[in-house]
Amino acid sequence: MFKKLIEESTGKSPWLFHINAGSCNGCDIELVSVLTPRYDAERLGFKLAGSPRHADIVVVTGPITAQSLPRVLRSIEQVPEPRCIVTMGSCPQSGNVFRGSYSICGPLSKYVHVDVDVAGCTPKPEAVIDGLALATKILQEKRRAMK
Amino acid sequence: MIIEALKYLAYVLIFPGFLFCFLTGMLLCGIDRKLVARMQKRVGPPILQPFYDFFKLCGKETIIPAAANRTVFLLAPLVGLAALVVLQLFIPVFGFSAFSNVADVIVILYLLLIPALSIMIGGAATGSPYAGVGLSREMVTVLSCELPLVLVLLAVGKKVGAATGSGLCFSLSEIVRYQMLNGSLLGKLSMLPAAAAFLMVIPGETGSHPFDAAEAETEICEGMLAEYSGAPLGVYKLSHAVKLLTMTSLFVMLFLGGIGGAIQNLILGAGLSGGAAGALIILLDVLVLFALCAAITAAAISFVHAVTARLKIEQIFKYYWTVVAALALVSLVLAWYGL
Amino acid sequence: MDFPFVKEAISQLFSKPSCAMYPAVESVAAPRYRGRIAFYPDKCINCMMCERVCCGGAITHTVEKTEEGDKVTRSFNLGCCTFCAHCMDFCTHGAIELTQDYHMIATKEEDLIVSGTFLKKPPVKKAVPPKAPAAAPAAAAAPAAAKPAAPAAPEGKAGPAADAADAAKPKAEAEQSAPPQPRDDGKPVQDPRTCVYCTICARKCPAGALTVDRAAKTWVLDEDACVGCGTCAEVCPKKAIIM
Repeated sequence: MFKKLIEESTGKSPWLFHINAGSCNGCDIELVSVLTPRYDAERLGFKLAGSPRHADIVVVTGPITAQSLPRVLRSIEQVPEPRCIVTMGSCPQSGNVFRGSYSICGPLSKYVHVDVDVAGCTPKPEAVIDGLALATKILQEKRRAMK
Repeated sequence: MIIEALKYLAYVLIFPGFLFCFLTGMLLCGIDRKLVARMQKRVGPPILQPFYDFFKLCGKETIIPAAANRTVFLLAPLVGLAALVVLQLFIPVFGFSAFSNVADVIVILYLLLIPALSIMIGGAATGSPYAGVGLSREMVTVLSCELPLVLVLLAVGKKVGAATGSGLCFSLSEIVRYQMLNGSLLGKLSMLPAAAAFLMVIPGETGSHPFDAAEAETEICEGMLAEYSGAPLGVYKLSHAVKLLTMTSLFVMLFLGGIGGAIQNLILGAGLSGGAAGALIILLDVLVLFALCAAITAAAISFVHAVTARLKIEQIFKYYWTVVAALALVSLVLAWYGL
Repeated sequence: MDFPFVKEAISQLFSKPSCAMYPAVESVAAPRYRGRIAFYPDKCINCMMCERVCCGGAITHTVEKTEEGDKVTRSFNLGCCTFCAHCMDFCTHGAIELTQDYHMIATKEEDLIVSGTFLKKPPVKKAVPPKAPAAAPAAAAAPAAAKPAAPAAPEGKAGPAADAADAAKPKAEAEQSAPPQPRDDGKPVQDPRTCVYCTICARKCPAGALTVDRAAKTWVLDEDACVGCGTCAEVCPKKAIIM
C-alpha cells in the first residue's frame, strides 16, 4: 500500500530543475511563464527546485555548448532516481540554427537518454505543460519499475 | 504501569505527538501554499500537496555526497523532527496537556533551537559551500528571533505571574489555566504589543518569506538543503510543516487560551458530564485549535509571504532587534507595572 | 517599510483566479501562430527553394528512382525547425503550411518528423516538341537546338545556344512591339524587350535551369531542369519573365 501511495504521489508532485545549456533565453522565459499566474503549473504540483538533488524532471534548454556540456552532464547525474529528462525547444534536440558551429556539442541525446522532446522555437506554455505531463507519466512508470 | 507506559507511548506517537503533528502540520502547510497562490491570483496546489511531496520524496533515491559525514547527514533531520514532536508534547491543547512542568516555557525555548541546529549540523555535514552560506544566515536568523521571543515569553510570564502572585510564571499549562479562568491575554491591553511581536516572530522562526534568506532557493540553492535528496529531505520538509503547527499553537496557547474556557463552559453548560463530556471537550479543543492555527498561518505567514520580497540578512537582524524587540519590551514594561 | 500589494492580495483572495486551466480546458493558438508544419506533397514541384531558405537545415529530401519517375520524399524535422515560416513564404505552390497546432511532444525523434512522398514524372517535353511562342518563331529554334546538347557538358550547351540567339536577334528586334505569350506548360518565357540580362533570375533559379550571358545578351532555359516554380519571374527586377 505504501508503494502505491508513493507511486500516486510521484505523479502529483514533480519538481523541475532547469538547465540553460547556452540557450537564447527564449525557452527559459517560456518555462518560467508556465509558473506564472496565467498558466500556474503549481496547481498540477510542479515546482521549480533550486538544487538538482531535489528535482524529478530536468528541463534542458539551449544547444549544449562545449562549455556547458560537462556541467549539464554533472547536473543530470546528481538528480536522484527516478528522474526524467525533457528537452525544451529545438536547440537541445538538434542544435537548430547553431548546428555545425565549432562550439556546439549537441544534440543532448548523444550523451544521455532523453525521455521527452518538446518541439517549438520556443514552445507555447501549453506545449510545455503537455510535455511535462507526459514526463510525469514516464516518471511514474519508472517509479513503478523500481524495487 | 504498562497502561501508563502505553499512555505515554500514545502521547508520543499519536495525539499531541507524531501522527497529530504530521497530519495537522502538513495540512497547515498545504493551506499556506493554497492561500499564497490565491493571493497571487493563482489557483494553487491542492491542499494535500505537502503530503504528495513528502511521499514522493520517500520514494526517491537518497544520494549521500562523497564529502559528507554519513551518520550525521542521515541522523540530523531525524533529531530535528524528534525535537519538534517532543516540543509539541509540552504545548497543551487548552485544558489537556501531555507533560506538565513548572518551567516548560524554558524547555520550549531550548527545544525550539534544536530543529534549527539540526538543519545547521546536517548542512555543515554535507560540506557544500551553499550549505556554508545558508548555515551562517540561519544562525543569524535564529539569533535575531531569539531575543524578541524571550522578551514576549517574559512579558506573558510576568503578566500571569503577577496575577497569580508567583512573580514570574514559566509554566505554559499554568498560563493556559489562568486564561481559561480569566479570559484570553489578547484581551489585555498590555499584551497587545507582545502578541504583535510574536506574530512577527512566527515567519522568522519557521523560515518563511520574507525571512527565508537562509533557504533562498534562487540564490543559494535552498542553502543547507542543497545536498539533501530523497527521504531526509522529506523529513526536513516535514519538520518545517510541524514547526508551523508548533509556532501557531504556541501563539494560541499564549494569547488565546481563554477560548478553551469558553468551550468547557459550553459543553458543561449543555448538561453533559463524565467521560463523554471530556472526550467531546478534547475533540472540540483540537478542532478549534486547528482552525485558529490555520487562521494565524493565513495572517502571519501566507499574507506576509504574498506581499513582501525577501529581506537581506542584515535587514532581518535589524528588524527583529529593533521593531519586534521594542514591541515585546513595551509589553514587558507594561506588565511589570501591573497594567 | 512599504507594502504596495496589501490591497491587491486581499482583493485577489476573494476573486476568481486568472489561470488558464490548460489541460482541462483546451486552448487554441493565435490565428497566425506558426506551429506544426503541414506538407502537401501533391502540390510540391520539387524546386528545392524551401531547402535553400531553411536556416536550421530542417528540410531534407531523399530520391528513389522508380520506373514511373523519381520518388521524392521531402521531410521536415520539427526538432530542428525555428518556425520562421521562410519555407512557407518562398513556396510558390503553397505546398507548405505552418498550422496552429502547437502540440509537438515526442518521446522518439521520429515523432517530430513531418514528411511526404510524391512522384516526379520525367519531363514529358521529350515526346511532345515544345511549343514556341507565336510571336517569336526563332526563339523556338533556340531551345530545340539546345536540347540535344543539354546532357553534355555546359560548354557544349553554351555554344549552340549563343549561335541560336545570334540568329534570333535580328528577328526579335524586328518584332519588338509584340509581347511574348505565356506558355501553357507553366515554364517561364522571357520578354526580350524589357530584359536587361542582369542574371538575377539565373542566380535565383533553384534548379539551375537558366543560363544568362550579359555580354552576349542571351537568356536560355534548360527545359528539363526547369520545374516551373516561378522564382525567376518573382525576382526579376524588370518583370521581364512571364509564367
